[in-house]
Amino acid sequence: MDPGVLAQYAFNGLMLGVIYAMVAVGFTLFFGVLDVIQFAHGDVVMAGAFVALATYLALHGLGVAVPGLVVIVVACAAALAMALLGALIARYLVLPLRAAPAFNTLLITLMLGSILRELVRLFYPNGSNPQPFPRLLPTASVNLGNFTLRLDTTILLVVGLATIFVVNLVVRRTRLGLAIRAVAQDSETARVMGIDFQRIVLVTFAIGSALAGIAGVVYGLYYNEVNFDIGLLLGVIGFSAAVVGGLGSIYGAIIGGFLFAALQTIGSVALPVSSAYNNVFAFAVVIILMTWKPTGLIAEPTSERV
Amino acid sequence: MSASLAVEGLFAGYDRADVLMDVSIAARTGEITCILGSNGSGKTTLVRSILGLTPPRRGRILFDDADIGGLPTHRVIGLGIACIPEGRKVFPKLTIEENLRLGAYREADDDTIRERLRDVYRVFPRLEERTTQLAGTMSGGEQAMLSIGRGLMAGPRMLLIDEPSLGLSPRFVAQNFDVIRRVNEQGVTVLLVEQNAHQTLAIAHRGYVLSQGRVVAQGTAAELRNNEEVRRAYFG
Repeated sequence: MDPGVLAQYAFNGLMLGVIYAMVAVGFTLFFGVLDVIQFAHGDVVMAGAFVALATYLALHGLGVAVPGLVVIVVACAAALAMALLGALIARYLVLPLRAAPAFNTLLITLMLGSILRELVRLFYPNGSNPQPFPRLLPTASVNLGNFTLRLDTTILLVVGLATIFVVNLVVRRTRLGLAIRAVAQDSETARVMGIDFQRIVLVTFAIGSALAGIAGVVYGLYYNEVNFDIGLLLGVIGFSAAVVGGLGSIYGAIIGGFLFAALQTIGSVALPVSSAYNNVFAFAVVIILMTWKPTGLIAEPTSERV
Repeated sequence: MSASLAVEGLFAGYDRADVLMDVSIAARTGEITCILGSNGSGKTTLVRSILGLTPPRRGRILFDDADIGGLPTHRVIGLGIACIPEGRKVFPKLTIEENLRLGAYREADDDTIRERLRDVYRVFPRLEERTTQLAGTMSGGEQAMLSIGRGLMAGPRMLLIDEPSLGLSPRFVAQNFDVIRRVNEQGVTVLLVEQNAHQTLAIAHRGYVLSQGRVVAQGTAAELRNNEEVRRAYFG
């Protein structure tokens, strides 16, 4: 195959990978601190995209048209709104169910996802149809043979990677991150260290959900279209990526995200059948990987001693 | 700077069963007070109640005359109480230094934290040799040092220590008890919960004996050593 076309596929795969990784990191953070799966997380990505869209329309209505400023305001609005939504989900749905079986949390967040989806479908104007998402980034491009490097997708890729990098830095290098990791390992002993458990859980959900909000904006800017049901597949893919990488590990979630995107890309390039089968191929490989490494690709770094 | 703790008429337990029944103890300022008792006597439940992990059903817990019963754990710790928990409970996937820094989580001042790190490393040079090693890969004795060091990092006014001798070789036990005695000499009030009566009474000023959730004997260390019931139960 032509190297330019191949490069194009690889670049598009990287773009998908960064979106999946952003979603997967949220799943892994939530599982880390509370041992729960927040199944509405994909729909939080969707809600972030719609908050961004609504913010854009509001700014447009007010006559604000400075391109760089608009995209920054739109992204911040999505991130902040989803941080708040995430903290509310933790405070009023997940934390009250701590004493209940994990299945209850799973079921309740699954239902919350349906509610978020249906709310957007019913109440967003013409919400049951795909909405055009504005191009807010400069669209300059260079052609290298069959490979077109676009400035807007390059910016999205860099911004996506940078947000994941910042979240990872916060978790690895700050006092807050140390508290998050302590709660993840042993929440009771973390409390005995003087850590406010509930506060750390809320902050963790806010961080993971803000990341999902930004992922929603990146998704909208990349595809120039959002729909009320995009969260369904994004949630399943993000969750699979987190599990394949090893739930609870940030690096695992990042690797899982890029791995899933790579599988989809390979599925559409290399399979003799239609590229519509790329998800079938990617999920089938994920199933095989899961049977081979049930605890994920990133192994636990130490054996625990009592 | 030191502090006193008094537990008055405490009832506490899990689900519907009370483990502690009408327990009253006092840890006086600047002293080592020990709680002796066999497995299942309610020692750990007492520590958990003071820390707010198992809130009391009845009774009061007074720290410097303020009732702390039922306060959330992080606020109890914020008052200047630190705990060296049963079974060490180091964070296995964090490094030694990260574990120690968590001990000083409530301390905002970087210089103070660095100073305390230096102090802990002076007491346990073994820890300084391997600051970046993961705590889960250390031996039991080293984890005990880390757990004690982590408790000291808080710069506490009062230290709760739950079974420091559990599962340790006699050499480590002696070393750790020596550290506890030295910490107390610097003015920290200590509540020491132990099964090992012999060595505990050697460093404690006074103590209580718990049995089946009740205080069955109390007095100075010398009195407890000579108490018939204690002798029968602990010294064979």
